Amino acid sequence: MFDCEVNVAKSCTELTQILIEPSARILAGGTDILPGMRKNSIGKPITLIDVSQLNELSYIREHEGQIDIGALTTHSKLITSPLLLQHAPALIDACASIGSTQTRNRGTLGGNLCNASPAADSVPPLLCLEAVVTLSSHDNQRQVPLSDFIIGPGRTCLKQGEYLDHITFAVPQKHTGTSFMKLGRRNGMSIAVVSTSVLLRLDQQGNIEYARVAFGSAAPTPICSHHAEAALTGKTPSAQLFSEAAQAMRTDINPIDDLRASREYRLHSAGVLLQRALQTAWHQAEMDLR
Amino acid sequence: MTTNTSVIGKPEIRKDAAFKATGKAQYTADLQPEHAAYAVLVRSPHHHADILSIDKTLALQQPGVIAVITAEDIPGLKTFGLIPDQPALAINVVRHIGEPVVLVVAADKASAQSAASKVVVEYKKLNAVLDPIEALIDPSPLVHPAGNLLAQFNVESGDLDSGFSKADIVFEETFTTQRVAPAYMEMETSLASYHPDGTISVWVSSQEPFIDRARIAAALNLEVEKVHVLSTVIGGAFGGKEDSSLAIITAIAAWITKGTVRMVNNRSESFVAHPKRHPVKIHLKIGAMNDGTIIALDGKVWLNTGAYASYGPAVGSLLTEMVAGPYNIPNVTIETKVIYTHTPYSGAMRGFGSPQAHFAIESAMDMLAERLNIDAVEIRRKNILQTGDTLPTRVHLNETALGLEPILQHASAAVARLRKVKAKPGKHSGVGLALAMQSMGLGNGIPDNSNHRLEWLPDGRVLIHLGVPDLGQGLVTVAEQITAEALGLPFEQVVSSPFNTHTVLNGGVVCASRMTYLVGNAMIAGAKHLIQELIDQAATLLNQPKDQITYACGRITLPDGNTLSASEFTSRAAEQGNPILVEASACFPYPEATTPQHLPIGLPHVKFLFGAQVARVEVDAELGIVEVTDLVAIHDPGKVINRLGAEGQIEGGVVMGIGYALYEDMSLKSNDQWINCFTEYLLPTSLDVPINLEVQMLEYPEGDGPYGAKGLAEICTVPTAPAITNAVYNAIGVRVKDLPITPEKLYQASQTHIGNHQDTTESKR
Amino acid sequence: MNKLTVHFTLNQQSIRLETLAARSLLDVLREDFALTGAKDSCGGDGECGACTILLDGEAVNACLVLISQVEGRHVLTIEGLTPDGSLHPIQNAYVQAGAIQCGYCTPGMVMATKALLDHTPQPDETQIREALAGNLCRCTGYTKIVQAVQFAATELHHDN
Ligand SMILES: Cc1cc2nc3c(=O)[nH]c(=O)nc-3n(C[C@H](O)[C@H](O)[C@H](O)COP(=O)(O)OP(=O)(O)OC[C@H]3O[C@@H](n4cnc5c(N)ncnc54)[C@H](O)[C@@H]3O)c2cc1C
Ligand code: FES
Ligand code: FES
Repeated sequence: MFDCEVNVAKSCTELTQILIEPSARILAGGTDILPGMRKNSIGKPITLIDVSQLNELSYIREHEGQIDIGALTTHSKLITSPLLLQHAPALIDACASIGSTQTRNRGTLGGNLCNASPAADSVPPLLCLEAVVTLSSHDNQRQVPLSDFIIGPGRTCLKQGEYLDHITFAVPQKHTGTSFMKLGRRNGMSIAVVSTSVLLRLDQQGNIEYARVAFGSAAPTPICSHHAEAALTGKTPSAQLFSEAAQAMRTDINPIDDLRASREYRLHSAGVLLQRALQTAWHQAEMDLR
Repeated sequence: MTTNTSVIGKPEIRKDAAFKATGKAQYTADLQPEHAAYAVLVRSPHHHADILSIDKTLALQQPGVIAVITAEDIPGLKTFGLIPDQPALAINVVRHIGEPVVLVVAADKASAQSAASKVVVEYKKLNAVLDPIEALIDPSPLVHPAGNLLAQFNVESGDLDSGFSKADIVFEETFTTQRVAPAYMEMETSLASYHPDGTISVWVSSQEPFIDRARIAAALNLEVEKVHVLSTVIGGAFGGKEDSSLAIITAIAAWITKGTVRMVNNRSESFVAHPKRHPVKIHLKIGAMNDGTIIALDGKVWLNTGAYASYGPAVGSLLTEMVAGPYNIPNVTIETKVIYTHTPYSGAMRGFGSPQAHFAIESAMDMLAERLNIDAVEIRRKNILQTGDTLPTRVHLNETALGLEPILQHASAAVARLRKVKAKPGKHSGVGLALAMQSMGLGNGIPDNSNHRLEWLPDGRVLIHLGVPDLGQGLVTVAEQITAEALGLPFEQVVSSPFNTHTVLNGGVVCASRMTYLVGNAMIAGAKHLIQELIDQAATLLNQPKDQITYACGRITLPDGNTLSASEFTSRAAEQGNPILVEASACFPYPEATTPQHLPIGLPHVKFLFGAQVARVEVDAELGIVEVTDLVAIHDPGKVINRLGAEGQIEGGVVMGIGYALYEDMSLKSNDQWINCFTEYLLPTSLDVPINLEVQMLEYPEGDGPYGAKGLAEICTVPTAPAITNAVYNAIGVRVKDLPITPEKLYQASQTHIGNHQDTTESKR
Repeated sequence: MNKLTVHFTLNQQSIRLETLAARSLLDVLREDFALTGAKDSCGGDGECGACTILLDGEAVNACLVLISQVEGRHVLTIEGLTPDGSLHPIQNAYVQAGAIQCGYCTPGMVMATKALLDHTPQPDETQIREALAGNLCRCTGYTKIVQAVQFAATELHHDN
């Protein structure tokens, strides 16, 4: 038995009305919030808003060069999407690494973002895609870059009465390669000790025209490494360059010591992962060039 | 005894499998009698504190609350244990986080939980000692008034000093191992029902229901006959269910409330308040000749046994015997200290000290081999025990050790084969070997018998009234197969009854790798009695001379050559109210003449199991990630009774060993709380175990074992961790002396030593 | 704590249940319907898979489903795998392969296997291990469980 009230939202309109209640918390897949409530790590009182009937918030669509993903789209649905396989394979890899089949069958993309864990695996690839989240309330809808949406461990810029409606990103241009790499303590069901995602776009000469680099479990929130991006942009890809990027990224990330690893090990392994991720993304982008 | 066995060794399907597969099997927590109340515990949030006061008032006012119980309400003995130092409910002081303090009984779980949150316990925090070495230094806080050294064991043979002085090389190393949990999937649970006639029934998930019965009786101040202990299906135990705590508490709740009470621990309670594998520090000093012969070993061992004794002293004593490993070393001194600390208590767990001992000695063997530039297989061949050798306990080894040399040969072949496999790009591969030895039986001086009954049913089937429950490992199936074999009956013709202390004899504690041996021998003895009874029946009924009637395969042959089915007589006997029911007992032998008597009770052991495991790993040296790609487990169970069951034991044991080597560690977090959930305590999943897990079973029969069988359940988890650390060393030259192997440790060590093949990691525990 | 009424299909039967709302599907199955095949082993962390059931054909942890979330959906538990309680080919494969020791993980494993084979009738070993990675087993070391899934896949394939 959970110590809470439960309210079922029958429509998005109804959802915005119920959400005004200060104790209201959305229950999406429940894979973060229910274990959290059992551990008493979530402030009380809680009124859970069951949104399982809002099928309209579960979709993956492309229109005008943009991809929209409804907040309630489960990871399982996401990783089997041909559209995403084509345009955002790194996001698929990231979501496929979340928990177990059971977790992915319930857990949603929106939940992963709103839970705002530093280890949220979908966030680094979405940061690389420069995703924008659309937040709705009963009288307003606004768009916020994902990089501004998550503001601290477990904290987002969602206001009272707002929910995450969908996530949008532009279909990457040609000659782009992306990748996601995650280091866990074991293979099955593993939370990231550190993760990284990169996006590289090459120009006709094969030089890096555009680079995005993001990390998970390396700072209070998943973050981009602008120094690494700067180190890469305009350069010719090489192992040497990637190792320089791995150096550059150290000024941006700020990992902690915890149960899963030390700060020092995280700094080191973030660099190793980044170099590997860059190699993978580069090869992909090159394939795209040919 | 038949030599051409027809049931033994066959992969018979355990009879409870279908029941379990369909979800119909009911474990204790699945029993939900109507009107059963539910009880929960208020547990200590502190490592060590005085209880200043307990205020029940608010809790008692909560809806649905039936009783709020503290130690003073317990009618009988308030403490229990082999060394009765453990209070069922804390008395004035708490000695570890998670210790039961107040018992709240309510109409249902939610009411019990909410009332429990209203119990006010006022504590005065006291200094705590968590480290066993510190606990021995004055002035450490005392866990118990008599001092923190709970037990000490010393074993000596030969002359250590002269051994070291002759040695060409002497080296010393310290090894440490972490605290791990048995982590059976079914948490501790109990159901107790008070009966108006002054008796009580208690369902337990336990390895020692008869001990539970005695302890419950003592706590309730009852005669043992008034306590019925029953068990349904058990969801794994691995030693950790040699613990009466929850059974006693549930019984107290039912007794005081005069009702039926259920209790089910949650996973975090299971972590903090039930036995763990001891964290151990082992210091070895080894003297050897240049040719690799080890001539002296000095071992010092410290076990962190936690707040209560549980089986700690017994684990310490067995560990002492295992420090020298399966090697013949003439001059040995071992000193073991079992030390109280304010940590969750350690006790029995699969291997019972042997995994820790082998981690040390098997790592040291490889280190020695490297120093002397001898192959890891060769150095072991030079030193392994042979029949006729004498152990440090002065036990002379008999045929029990015959399998060791062939095991090493098989291991050697596996090493050679796996060394040829190339590593994936970017990975370093390595192969490691470890041998293992595990004692069987409880040890000299401890009553070690096992009693059961066999009944020949009217329809000709045989019913085993097994005096022990099956923990999931398949003991019942083994008993049925041996009984079927001994009676020449098909496997299906032998069935077993559920466990109930009122209907079965005392089969002892299910532990110590001796159940196949002991129960098997009991079944064979019982089968002989059954046959004799049957012949007697036939003789009387048909008025024929006993000595001319014979029995085979479920049929009686009369002097005239006619044969009749056993059921002709068993049905008649049952009709007459005299069913054919016999005792089936066996006793673990410690022959006076050959068992040294100079050691404390529980020492020495006289029969041993041997095995070897070879691991191949691939290490991502940059990240410190270890993948165990192959594992070959070679074991000698004497005789395989059930192939599927034996393989399953080994496969499960190996994976538990992999968890020990790589993932599991119940440590204290920075918030001063113990790791207590599966989010943080990582068990190997299906993706974390070797794809190539190969089981090889050699069968060197034990002369007095049932059809030659010995045991298996523990040893298969013993050599895994050192085989893996040896393989890691072989791969990247980093020696992990402090379990578990973590990417962090490998990274730290490789910072300076990659490719250097030197010993690096230092122990921190 | 509020109550609500939920309508769903449980093992092919239509159910209308009035209950306190803040309960997990696992608790409802075990307490209200005495369907105790699904087990709790991690205390609702979603880490053990012992409580795995099928929700609209997908393997989910019943401990992480709130009862209101099953409104209008199909719940299949181990007890409903075959209409008459006889052995389903998957269950039979577990029995024959020796994949069951203490059996505590088995109902969850079997249901996860069912979901896998419904979606991927002929999985390779990696797919099997991935599909079962959310189901912990402390007894078997998984070898025989993987074999059981392979047997079951073959068996079901022949039946079709
Ligand atoms: C066993 C296990 C393993 C896991 N492994 C991983 C892992 O490897 N990597 C990883 O990143 N995560 C992991 N998780 C965490 C979790 O599964 C994911 O974060 C998941 O995506 C959360 O989605 P959900 O729908 O279940 O969220 P919920 O638990 O339903 O919600 C999470 C939070 O977000 C809020 N919320 C949800 N949706 C919205 C919305 N549309 N608008 C506003 N607020 C909303 C909720 O109120 C709540 O505060 C794991 C969880 C478990 C149980
Ligand atoms: S109880 Fe462990 S996943 Fe549900
Ligand atoms: S068979 Fe015991 S947990 Fe899997």
